[in-house]
Amino acid sequence: MNPSTVARTPIARSPVAPTAPVEVVEGWEVSTRRSTAALQLADLTWLAKVAVKADANGAFSTRHPTAFGSARRPSADVLEIGSDPGGWLTIGPVGGAAELVERLTVEVADAGELVSVIDLTHGRVLLRLSGENSDAVLAKICAIDLADMVTPNLSAFRSSVAKLVTDVVRDDLVDGTRSYLLHCERSSGQHLFNCVVDAGAEFGIDIAGSG
Amino acid sequence: MSSAAATGRRLDPQAGEVIDRGSPLSFRWDGKAHTGFEGDTIVSALMASGVDVFSRSFKYKRPRGVLSATFHDPGCTVQVGDEPNVRAAHRRLAAGMDVSPENVWPSLKFDVRAANQLVGRFLSAGFYYKTFMKPQRLWPAYQKILGRFAAGGVTAADAEHGYYDKRYIHVDVCVAGGGPAGMAAAVAAARSGASVLLVDEEYHLGGHLRYGGEAELAALAELRAEVAAQKSIEVMTNAAVTGRYDMNWIAVVQRQPGISVRGRSIHERLCKVRAGALVVAAGLIERPYVFEGNDLPGVMLSTAVRRLVNLHAARPGDKAVVFTANADGDACAQDLRRIGVGVTVVDARTGGNIVSAKGGKRLKSVDLADGRSVDCDLLVTAVGWTAATPLLNMAGDRPVYDPTPARFFPTDRLPATVVVAGALAGDGSTAELIAHGTAVGATAAARAGHGSEVPVPALARVAHPELYRSTTHGFVDYSEDVSSKDMFAAKKEGYDSIELVKRYTTVTMGPSQGKLESVNAVAIMAEAHGVTDLNEIGTTVWRPPYVPITLGALGGRGFENTRFSPMQSWHEQHNAKPLVAGDWIRPEHYGDAAAEVAKVRDKVGIIDVTPLGKLDLRGPDVPKLLNLLYVNKWSKLAIGAVRYGVMCAEDGVVMDDGVTGRLAEDRYIMTTTSSGAATVWEWAESWLQTEHPDWQVHVTPVTTGYASMNVAGPKSRELIGRVVEGVDLSNDAFPYMHVRTATVAGVADCFMWRIGFTGELSYEIHVPAAYGLHVWEALFDAGSDLGVGAFGVEAQRIMRLEKGHFIVGQDTDGLTLGFGADLGWCIKLDKDDFAGKPELVLQSQRENYQRLVGLQPVDPTIVPAEASQIVEGAKKIVGRVTSSRMSPTLRRSICLGFVEPHLATPGTVVTCQLPDGRRVQLKVIEGLAHFDPAGARMKV
Repeated sequence: MNPSTVARTPIARSPVAPTAPVEVVEGWEVSTRRSTAALQLADLTWLAKVAVKADANGAFSTRHPTAFGSARRPSADVLEIGSDPGGWLTIGPVGGAAELVERLTVEVADAGELVSVIDLTHGRVLLRLSGENSDAVLAKICAIDLADMVTPNLSAFRSSVAKLVTDVVRDDLVDGTRSYLLHCERSSGQHLFNCVVDAGAEFGIDIAGSG
Repeated sequence: MSSAAATGRRLDPQAGEVIDRGSPLSFRWDGKAHTGFEGDTIVSALMASGVDVFSRSFKYKRPRGVLSATFHDPGCTVQVGDEPNVRAAHRRLAAGMDVSPENVWPSLKFDVRAANQLVGRFLSAGFYYKTFMKPQRLWPAYQKILGRFAAGGVTAADAEHGYYDKRYIHVDVCVAGGGPAGMAAAVAAARSGASVLLVDEEYHLGGHLRYGGEAELAALAELRAEVAAQKSIEVMTNAAVTGRYDMNWIAVVQRQPGISVRGRSIHERLCKVRAGALVVAAGLIERPYVFEGNDLPGVMLSTAVRRLVNLHAARPGDKAVVFTANADGDACAQDLRRIGVGVTVVDARTGGNIVSAKGGKRLKSVDLADGRSVDCDLLVTAVGWTAATPLLNMAGDRPVYDPTPARFFPTDRLPATVVVAGALAGDGSTAELIAHGTAVGATAAARAGHGSEVPVPALARVAHPELYRSTTHGFVDYSEDVSSKDMFAAKKEGYDSIELVKRYTTVTMGPSQGKLESVNAVAIMAEAHGVTDLNEIGTTVWRPPYVPITLGALGGRGFENTRFSPMQSWHEQHNAKPLVAGDWIRPEHYGDAAAEVAKVRDKVGIIDVTPLGKLDLRGPDVPKLLNLLYVNKWSKLAIGAVRYGVMCAEDGVVMDDGVTGRLAEDRYIMTTTSSGAATVWEWAESWLQTEHPDWQVHVTPVTTGYASMNVAGPKSRELIGRVVEGVDLSNDAFPYMHVRTATVAGVADCFMWRIGFTGELSYEIHVPAAYGLHVWEALFDAGSDLGVGAFGVEAQRIMRLEKGHFIVGQDTDGLTLGFGADLGWCIKLDKDDFAGKPELVLQSQRENYQRLVGLQPVDPTIVPAEASQIVEGAKKIVGRVTSSRMSPTLRRSICLGFVEPHLATPGTVVTCQLPDGRRVQLKVIEGLAHFDPAGARMKV
């Protein structure tokens, strides 16, 4: 028995192999690479991801008016996505899953409807593709029309991306740079990451750290 | 000194040339060094070097040179390095290219198979339907010889797999064809506010303007500037619209887009376009003339000559006969005179005609209808045009032949969102074609929701002689070596429909797919039938793709998903042999599966079982759902308890199995088989959403939310005790078939249950997935003094077989009903209802179904192959072996299998026929378990 290794602090890891330099930040092994490229792909799997299931027209829905197929920011560090009819995904800060679960659970405890709040932080991978040509990259692996008129900022859809069921959220950066969040089940994360990198090669895609 | 300079075939700079004389390129052709320029095609560079012959024909192996100087040129297909079937009259020259002729024997200069021409009368159309039939035993020899005639190049077995990808494009207007009308249409559509994709198969926009005179070049410059000024136009050159499907789903193949991915250049890209409107501005294709010797090198279309001269500054010959019936032929004669070529004009409009061309590897003379014979090395024909209508046909139109301009025209059958621009609609000056395109472009934009429609000016239909065949016979289909004589013969043999003639003679079925041949074929058939109206003959059907497209482009980048557990890196570091299990990659073993079994039976082993399907079930009505899905009862599952369950489909067939544990009052975790995870989720959702929307249940798949590992063996409790906090692991406190939540190796929110597939004391731990590797490594560190080792899927399969656990899909199939799989002990027919109950009730009332039994070969050294049949008498099949292994624990072979009911009694000896024909004896054992049938080892 090697008690020192057993007792060591747990390290959480994304399914996407981090690009050097790699550091442990807030308990997660992440890439701290900085990129100034016009087109970037970053692994944001370490962000908290909490799913909520509730009546599509019930109390939770009233308190969280994020319609199916859209997203909104109830606060600066939280993105709420209407991912299904009666289904929401909330993305929050690193390490914030427990607090999110607690808050969402308490919020509707007296609502009289069945509400399931489930921490999916570990079960899903989350990538951010951002830059001027991010729509062109996505258009190589996803058949959805990415024009502003069809999928404006803060629109969300579930589709085949690189033949993988993926939730896509148009979430432009603060400075207006076009940006997409790609969200799929964890074990396929490296596959999705590789496909996006390949698709972005012709546009000079660069890998950014998770910061 | 370059060959070009030596032969003097490279002309002085031309006004519209596309070559860059400052960028010479060296390459090889047929083993010899040549030089060309950036912007040359392979063929233009070779012609400038004095090369006339680029290939041998398909059947008669006749020498072939330039005909159309386009992608579709049937005589200019070559091999470039490892790449076969390169269209050399289109493909740009690149430095270092190694170009060679395809399928010549022994050489391009001398091909012995040209002797076929001497026996041509025996090789007429359809000869292969009549010959090589007898004697049948000689077919292998025939096959070898015929194989030598197969067209096409060679792909090396070790050639690198090309990289292909795809692209989806959504635009308001797609314009097919970048000639003057197409460019004008694109500009007009863009000005109306539409997004536009402008596609052209050449490397530059402009169509025929590119190789025209001063006025055409000036118009081209203006159009190009207008296109460039419109930011909403995406120009895609060296690309072709290959198909138009319903709702303007348009396929575009983009060739050599100049992109590299992971060091490999993209050869072709398929673009899937959704367009609000399609403008077809595909223009006209110059038609060859049918006469004796029309395939000799040196016989060219007028557009080919003008391309070579004006775009590539290559002199196509020194002394020419120009047989012309139109202004383009006249312009070609002028071009030739300008560069100093002696020209004899034969004007079809004043009754002139040519009869035959004479020569060998190059044209030597032309016999004219007036009796003269003219020595020359170049014969230019300008006898008319074929309308490029395939996209119109694909949109539902059947173009109609108009004898006055001698070509086909679209009708009004087209959908509103498919509009025709330019020469396909009629004739006109450059200005008239631009005006037409402009109006059509605005109309297309309007139909796609931008701006308003405008009146489209009509284009004239200028009279043109109907010229298809001279008084002699010649080739109609150059790609397939089909002559007009063959077509007459086919008619005589009774093939009187153009569609039948096409299939019998293969006319229009070569790589150019009828672009040069279709109208000639129709006209020859009309002549054979003695009719003058080509509409009476009809046309063959144009189908996608418009141009050949590689299978790689159709397939695109491989997107086969590969799923890994969080512990994959550890498996790789420990030499795990990967096992492909659906999308998942799992460790099959780490070198010695038998040793892994021994480790688990004697000490402790750990297996990565992350792919196990896991569903989070919440809500007060979960027991109702479980009772519906499983065949056994679930109403009284206590918190902290785990139960095994089997699901049957509505037909009673075993569908999946697994365990479900109750973590809290309204929270359960269900596990499924690895391959059944998605199916079971959909199955549960299907019932909830369609039959029981009133039930208060939420089902969430969490398969990869947890890294799962099974710690099995007599020392597993001791090992688990070293890493788990807050759980009393004693058998009394945490007995078999129970679940506990725990902190494992410092990781909170884990759950573990005492179950196992191996028959040993075991704990299945489910850890938040991001911590999977941490916990896995911690277990190995903690158990180093206990002799802990990893075991793979193969060891697990052996141990489960020793224990007699069946695997759904391995030991059951699509016909296995619940009772047949020895599941009577858990099927509760006294439940109100559950999926599959009616069929299971029926099965319970009869006895004639096969039973799953444990089997042991009488000779313990023999392991019958899985799927070996169990037989009775000489031929009767009475069962099969579903699983078999050599048991390292029992040191004998063991099996599971199905047998007829009369053979299912323990002690019965059955006969098994092995794949090699031998028959061996198997004994039916009591129950399914070969090892520890009472389960004593796992309940300690």
